[in-house]
Amino acid sequence: MKIVVYSESPVFLRMGAAVAQSFGGELIGISTSQDAKFFNKLYLIENTDEEGIVDLVVSLTPDVFITGNVRKDRAIAGRVAGRLKLPIITDVLSIKLDGNKAMINRSAYSGMGIAVIETELPLVMTVASTQLQPKQIEPSIEKVKLKEGRIKVIGRKSTSSGANISTADIVVGVGRGIQNKENIKYAEELATALGGVVGGSRPVAAELGWVPEDRQIGLSGLRIRPKLYIALGISGQPQHIAGIRDSKIIVAVNTDKNAPILENADYLIVADAVAFCKAMLKKLGK
Amino acid sequence: MNIVVGFKIVPDDQMIKVVGDKLVTDAPPKISTYDKNAIEEAIRLKEKFGGKVTGITVGSNDRKSIREALAMGVDEVIAVISNKIDVYATAMAIVENIKPLNPDVVLFSEMSTDSGTSALPAYVAEALGLPYVSNVKSLKIEGNKVIADRGMVSYVETIETTLPVVLSVGGEINTPRIPSVKQIMESSKKPVKEVKFDIQPKVIVKEVKPLLVNRKKIVIEENDIEKAVDKLLEYLKSDGVL
Ligand SMILES: Cc1cc2nc3c(=O)[nH]c(=O)nc-3n(C[C@H](O)[C@H](O)[C@H](O)COP(=O)(O)OP(=O)(O)OC[C@H]3O[C@@H](n4cnc5c(N)ncnc54)[C@H](O)[C@@H]3O)c2cc1C
Repeated sequence: MKIVVYSESPVFLRMGAAVAQSFGGELIGISTSQDAKFFNKLYLIENTDEEGIVDLVVSLTPDVFITGNVRKDRAIAGRVAGRLKLPIITDVLSIKLDGNKAMINRSAYSGMGIAVIETELPLVMTVASTQLQPKQIEPSIEKVKLKEGRIKVIGRKSTSSGANISTADIVVGVGRGIQNKENIKYAEELATALGGVVGGSRPVAAELGWVPEDRQIGLSGLRIRPKLYIALGISGQPQHIAGIRDSKIIVAVNTDKNAPILENADYLIVADAVAFCKAMLKKLGK
Repeated sequence: MNIVVGFKIVPDDQMIKVVGDKLVTDAPPKISTYDKNAIEEAIRLKEKFGGKVTGITVGSNDRKSIREALAMGVDEVIAVISNKIDVYATAMAIVENIKPLNPDVVLFSEMSTDSGTSALPAYVAEALGLPYVSNVKSLKIEGNKVIADRGMVSYVETIETTLPVVLSVGGEINTPRIPSVKQIMESSKKPVKEVKFDIQPKVIVKEVKPLLVNRKKIVIEENDIEKAVDKLLEYLKSDGVL
């Protein structure tokens, strides 16, 4: 069996490699980094032209192509599957192979459900989590120059803001209910007082720009697992909940005591988000 | 300009509930959230460049949802009736029906709220042999040239390509219009072409279970916010998180 793994994200590349190793067979990695030492063979690529990567994967005719869950990975996965007319399963939580058959659990309905599905090899999959670690294997390395595709990248702007909300112990999430950009400072003061970091819902991070885009929490942003998550003015749509399910304790602050987030919260404070921050800061002696 | 927009009719994600150990998904149907942004972008392209917007939907053929797309400004809808669908079967149904239209732009949203694979637009692009640009948050077309910003969470990428092209968009790209009563009335006269398409899917869903996390769901409601915060801090201390 031939398994090919690629991810733009180093953590998903490791997770993909760990899944591939659990299947066994010929393990082929594609990466821009020499350090990706979890495969029998590593194709070291210099550029990351999307069509170039798709062409390379397709030319290898894998039995399984595994990639991660960042947006670039998903675009590549869909194209590889489309080119080879293969089944594609994204957000894979667990997989069992039995000969050519694959039984898979994946998340569905924006994270509210787990779908149990059956399909056959060859297949394309994206992994949902980043928990497993692969064994080290010294690969044979081949440098490849990717073909340039029809899409030219003419600019790239990092949205990186320094803080890593994926590994933080305490996260203060802000939603549209914080009202305006100026009020974000109260969330930041609260986060600092608690030794945590600020993240946001998709509208706040990606649309309104009240918090940096790389701090978007949720289904299509980052999935976090803090000890304490405080949701300020967040309604609790399933796509947001998908990103905070693994939090130990969830506190929601909302003026609406019937906000859907109650279903997924340990404590709901019925209050204005800013007034809550001010009162917390006072009580914490800050 | 020949514009095609794909949209999916899904159970309303805000009405899906966990009851006992079941996920109850037979909620009222609606157009999947970001698919409305794709429809809006299609209509804006038509308003700018002229031409026609053809909508295509596979699976449910809920009349009300189809009428809503038409009322927003879609000129015609192809409703593909198919019972068993996966990404592959849906893509094949779409390709067979839109290929004869020779589209310049095919629009989708980045993800549906039910299966949420993000794979369909890419699959269709490959089956049509067209370039694919995912996660578009702003779009400019000049002549044959397409310039787009892609929101990739940890970075924003600006790309250039040429028509014809397949694009997927997120909620950031625009605000979907709400049709007027007049537009809703007129939408009943617009053509809806129902076609059948059957092909063996490659993925079979055996079961859907809820993903359960038990939360305490304690509501703290006090007139005095400081009292509420005192209560919360006590709880958090006994939970060992502060
Ligand atoms: C395919 C797809 C992917 C998505 N991915 C994500 C994702 O990754 N992350 C994400 O977050 N969303 C995502 N969304 C969007 C999601 O569906 C919701 O639209 C979004 O989470 C809502 O953000 P919000 O809670 O900040 O705003 P709203 O839904 O507008 O909620 C605001 C809340 O604030 C409360 N409020 C108002 N005033 C105050 C006040 N003064 N003090 C306190 N509370 C107040 C209101 O009662 C309300 O509950 C996605 C959607 C789709 C379709």
